[in-house]
Amino acid sequence: MLVIVPTLDARAARAQSPAAPQPGRFEVAIGSLWTGHQALGSNDANETTSAGGSLTLFSTSSDLASAAGLEGRVGVRLRRRLEADVEASYARPPLRIAISNDFESAAPATATETIRQFTIGAGVVWYPPYRVRRGSRVAPFAMAGGGYLRQLHESAILLETGRFYQFGGGVKYLLASRPTRPLKGLGARLDVRALVRSKGIAFDGGHYTSPAIGASLFVRF
Amino acid sequence: MRRSLALALVAAMVFGSVQPALAYLKFGVTVGGAQMTLKWAQTPVRYFVTDQGVSGVSATDLQAAAGRAFATWQAVPTASIAYQFAGFTAAAPGRDDGLSTLGFRSRPELDRVLAATSFVVDAATGTLVESDIFFNSAFPWSVAPAGEANRYDFESIALHEIGHLSGLGHSALGETELREGGGRRVLGAEAVMFPIAFVAGSIAGRTLKADDIAGISDLYPDGDFNQALGSISGRVTKDGQPIFGAHVVAFDVARGSVVGTFSLNAQGDFSAGGLSPGPHVLRVEPIDDADVESFFEAARTVDVDFRVGFIDRIVVVPRGGDSGEITLRVVRK
Repeated sequence: MLVIVPTLDARAARAQSPAAPQPGRFEVAIGSLWTGHQALGSNDANETTSAGGSLTLFSTSSDLASAAGLEGRVGVRLRRRLEADVEASYARPPLRIAISNDFESAAPATATETIRQFTIGAGVVWYPPYRVRRGSRVAPFAMAGGGYLRQLHESAILLETGRFYQFGGGVKYLLASRPTRPLKGLGARLDVRALVRSKGIAFDGGHYTSPAIGASLFVRF
Repeated sequence: MRRSLALALVAAMVFGSVQPALAYLKFGVTVGGAQMTLKWAQTPVRYFVTDQGVSGVSATDLQAAAGRAFATWQAVPTASIAYQFAGFTAAAPGRDDGLSTLGFRSRPELDRVLAATSFVVDAATGTLVESDIFFNSAFPWSVAPAGEANRYDFESIALHEIGHLSGLGHSALGETELREGGGRRVLGAEAVMFPIAFVAGSIAGRTLKADDIAGISDLYPDGDFNQALGSISGRVTKDGQPIFGAHVVAFDVARGSVVGTFSLNAQGDFSAGGLSPGPHVLRVEPIDDADVESFFEAARTVDVDFRVGFIDRIVVVPRGGDSGEITLRVVRK
């Protein structure tokens, strides 16, 4: 990952107004996003019995494994404590289907493939009206958003689409600030989210929730 | 084991060989040296019902129950086949009279055959011109809505035989156990076209399954069958060599449905069509729940010396296309 780190005067950060969470109106960020394991449910291959019941031929349990990917974001400050973000991400989580309980005692197996997952979405970031301490470079925030999900199977012959929603919170740490210059700040962001996905690769039509951790560097204009 | 012998009758009458084409077994005929799938060239298929009933089932009952079974096949949205009741007839099924006839016949010597389907094929075109179904009146029958203990459900058996009448062969999607005294008992089946019937009294065979729907839609595709659904294809090998007659089961993880097919040629090629787009699990097994002759000509050498197994990759069915070549490697028992 290539990150451009402009030379700024770090001392200026300490001089900024404590009432303003971060200097500048626009923010561009790039970093990594780790998404936790998502259980996709279980399903059995059943046959019908003479009484109309079920005989299980074998059982499956599916999940989308945890994966790290890239995430980019462009934000604009709408109000003093409110930002709007547009964001995109890319990751390659493995899809796994564990097979067990075979009626004819076949050895358990795991079938896998790697998904190429793209998201594009929007959200808001809200800075609460309190400070960690006066002059602190740390700005806590809460976030919420959602967007569009595309998941391409490994063989690239089938595309699944869906939606995602996320909410959570984190902190931004201002590494350097120069409020009077066009490039007004450089910082790091760390957040923890609950990521809710619907449709896409979904085996029971439900919603799947997993934890996610984002870490990025940002510049502000 | 009753239907398995029924298939043997069917096979003796029409098989050139099974078709190494798409999923399931379809009857094949050889016309001018070329293999053709046996099917009706024109629909609706007109059928007659004999005017002779048996104990517990009048001719009118027989016609009504057969009509429900025909309607079940005709209701498959992705298949174009249609049927039409043409009237009662005094003719018995099995006559080469140009009429497709369903009815009872007493065949006590066929003590494991509930029913059988026969065909008359146009030798020039390979198309069906007549197909008769006889139900063996040596067995007790029922048309009761909820079934009757110790009586075979006519509608269920008719549904199976009408699958044959339409051109479908047998499916191997079922599990059985050997019975004392011979024959097999069905533990579970996920295809009406499984060759062995449920026990007397059961009405579980009145509902088409995904495998049956895929089969009839493959023979008579309609609507967006070819555009909306996809297929899986590949080959089965053992010790690097292709094998014939391996049963391949495709499990749709999202929908919970199973569709079966076989490796059907010397190259071990298999193909299963009519599958919903999405991830599938593939399972391969030897034929061990019914007689091999229920599926293939006796002259074919079917390899059953390998273990049941799964492929370790998820197989994705595209919309309106094929998965691409999948190799299933099995190991000797």
